[in-house]
Amino acid sequence: MKRDHQESCGVGGGIAGYDTKSGNNKGESSSSMGKGKLWEEEQDPGGMDELLAVLGYKVRSSDMADVAQKLEQLEMVMGTAQEDGISYLCSDTVHYNPSDLSGWVQSMLSELNPPMCLDASGMLQNQHDPVLGSSTVTFSNPLSHKSEIFSGDYDCDLRAIPGVAAYPQPDSISERENSRKRMKTSPGSDTSNATTSNSNSTPPLLADASSSSLSSSSPPSTIMISGNLSEPSRPVVLIDSQETGVRLVHTLLACAQAVQLENLKLAEALVKHIGLLAASQASAMRKVATYFAEALARRIYKIYPQECLDPTYSDALEMHFYETCPYLKFAHFTANQAILEAFATASRVHVIDFGLKQGMQWPALMQALALRPGGPPAFRLTGIGPPQPNNTDTLQQVGWKLAQLAGTIGVEFEFRGFVANSLADLQPEMLDLRPPEEETVAVNSVFELHRLLARPGGIDKVLSSVKAMKPKIVTIVEQEANHNGPVFLDRFTEALHYYSSLFDSLEGSGLAVPSQDLVMSELYLGRQICNVVACEGADRVERHETLTHWRTRIESSGFDPVHLGSNAFKQASMLLALFAGGDGYRVEENNGCLLLGWHTRPLIATSAWKLGG
Amino acid sequence: MHHHHHHPHVSSPHATQKRLKFCINDHIDILIEILKRLDGRSLGVAACVCRLWCTIARNDSLWEDLCFRHVSPPPSGVRAVVVALGGYKRLYMVCVRPVLSRLGRRLRLGDSDRVGRVWTRDEVQLSLSLFCVDYYERLGRLGGGGGGSGGGGGGGDTSAASLMFLCKPVNV
Repeated sequence: MKRDHQESCGVGGGIAGYDTKSGNNKGESSSSMGKGKLWEEEQDPGGMDELLAVLGYKVRSSDMADVAQKLEQLEMVMGTAQEDGISYLCSDTVHYNPSDLSGWVQSMLSELNPPMCLDASGMLQNQHDPVLGSSTVTFSNPLSHKSEIFSGDYDCDLRAIPGVAAYPQPDSISERENSRKRMKTSPGSDTSNATTSNSNSTPPLLADASSSSLSSSSPPSTIMISGNLSEPSRPVVLIDSQETGVRLVHTLLACAQAVQLENLKLAEALVKHIGLLAASQASAMRKVATYFAEALARRIYKIYPQECLDPTYSDALEMHFYETCPYLKFAHFTANQAILEAFATASRVHVIDFGLKQGMQWPALMQALALRPGGPPAFRLTGIGPPQPNNTDTLQQVGWKLAQLAGTIGVEFEFRGFVANSLADLQPEMLDLRPPEEETVAVNSVFELHRLLARPGGIDKVLSSVKAMKPKIVTIVEQEANHNGPVFLDRFTEALHYYSSLFDSLEGSGLAVPSQDLVMSELYLGRQICNVVACEGADRVERHETLTHWRTRIESSGFDPVHLGSNAFKQASMLLALFAGGDGYRVEENNGCLLLGWHTRPLIATSAWKLGG
Repeated sequence: MHHHHHHPHVSSPHATQKRLKFCINDHIDILIEILKRLDGRSLGVAACVCRLWCTIARNDSLWEDLCFRHVSPPPSGVRAVVVALGGYKRLYMVCVRPVLSRLGRRLRLGDSDRVGRVWTRDEVQLSLSLFCVDYYERLGRLGGGGGGSGGGGGGGDTSAASLMFLCKPVNV
């Protein structure tokens, strides 16, 4: 028999939660009192509910709705009262007899005596305000309509596990995780209730910085309850996906912290939990969470991804990424502009490309050189690439294509390819450099330098090699992120933000879903995520650092900055305007460097350098 | 000879032999002058009228005028490059039209084709660069028998995948 009046009061009683889809934002609560609540229950009206009785609770069937509602209120109150009213619960271990649920709930409620207004939204807003800025609006609005359901602090999800020192106790926790999972899977379908519109124009859905609250959380939200309970006593409320989104982020961070503390059992439990939460999300967040969860799982189970994947595969992925979103194009166009300006009067030019890949950067440069007033210079390109399997000479193929293009547009062209495992293996003498009077050299590196940070001394060696090449200009494009800190949790948090923005921008790219391009672009990013999170040591090559870091490093190596001019800025802005979803992209100038970002978050930075005086 | 300018050219069966009709098809130079002044869409439509018009409309110089109509004379050498990379018609269809319409829309101008919207040198440069990338991609496909580039919106020509973003409709 269904609880009809549960629906009418808008409180998802969690009983066959399928019927709470009445279009309001309220999710259903699966009361943890009994998984019995999830299924059709048989009961004899008036008497004790049988299923609950099995578990040791005595609740009148007729009271069930009432108790459920009170439990929700209790949870909410506990959540809002977290800072103030609840700390005493930790120290004052008064135990109530949980078998009399009604009585217990009532006494809890009256004790806590909720004086605070149920301003859940206000609470949430304050928590996330400093980080999200404008995006808090999207968070709090739906919540402000839900005065009743508020899931409080997510740390409580685990810490509220009854029993002294419930956390960390890996065994009991994973067991509870499992039981909680059982509860969650059935209403799993109902989370489609989500009315979220993670529209493309909203900033990334990340609520953060509660990593700090996470670490200080051990507290005061543990409820001491005696008895032989096998289930967590706190009802778990699954609300609409924005709420779950925040919860998802918290779970990800909790898992990362567990990994950092080497608490692998807990981490394992959390990773599985993430999968469930992710299912309820809209696409960008779900994909990001899935990739991060996978990377965490790899780290936990020590199944490290193979680094030496077929470069043609990674090139193909990169091509799709090139086509889908403007980041690579931005990188190429801005670097080309700087090179073009440096080559303004040269008659013979030589470009050394640290990562040739498919050579997509050079057609545009060659065309601009071809149309240079005064005619094109002689153009020499040296491309460096990783070793290929099967002895296929990709570099030569690319060189040949470029040569064809050069012939078509009338530019004298010469190409040389070098295969190197790492840029640090490169010796300037190998490059057949001619004296600066004869030819002007430009060195170009798009997303290549950060890999050198994986081995000590690599970057210094390369920078000194670059100096030995006597370039007129060095163009460097790198990710604008700090993924190389010493602490894993910090790296993880940073990466979560960064890739959320990236995935968000992919969603906004206006591609029809599903689209192969989109999927491949996401895979491309997913591999980076995997590397950042799951790998360590020399394998972890995606060691992104911010522009500030790079500036310091490059300047101290003896280079001076070159300002990218307004032409580059204009070109970049125009290029971005061409992309669907172009509203979200922003070009910024920072001390002569150009940054491309999605909304407020800079993602890519282009900088140009010359030899120091 | 009477010039019935307001009559569309139709050879009506009951036209009197005495009155000589003006048939535009007899005056290709005038036709070209007229077509030169059309906007892109009309030029495309004109190409569908009859075989003669189709042949004329395919003439690249018409499209060259279209591309550079509102811009000061392009630097010398542009023609050689553009022709080598595929011609002005392709340049227009693949790059210029989307660029103008996207950027024009963003600037809240009217139909950027028709109105004398000034097309800046930067936009020219950008379009040419994208065009070059397009050519390069097609090289790759021809050479390696690569996977089909999903045919974009440009008049029947399949555009290279890297310019797919230009073919996607923009939600303005």
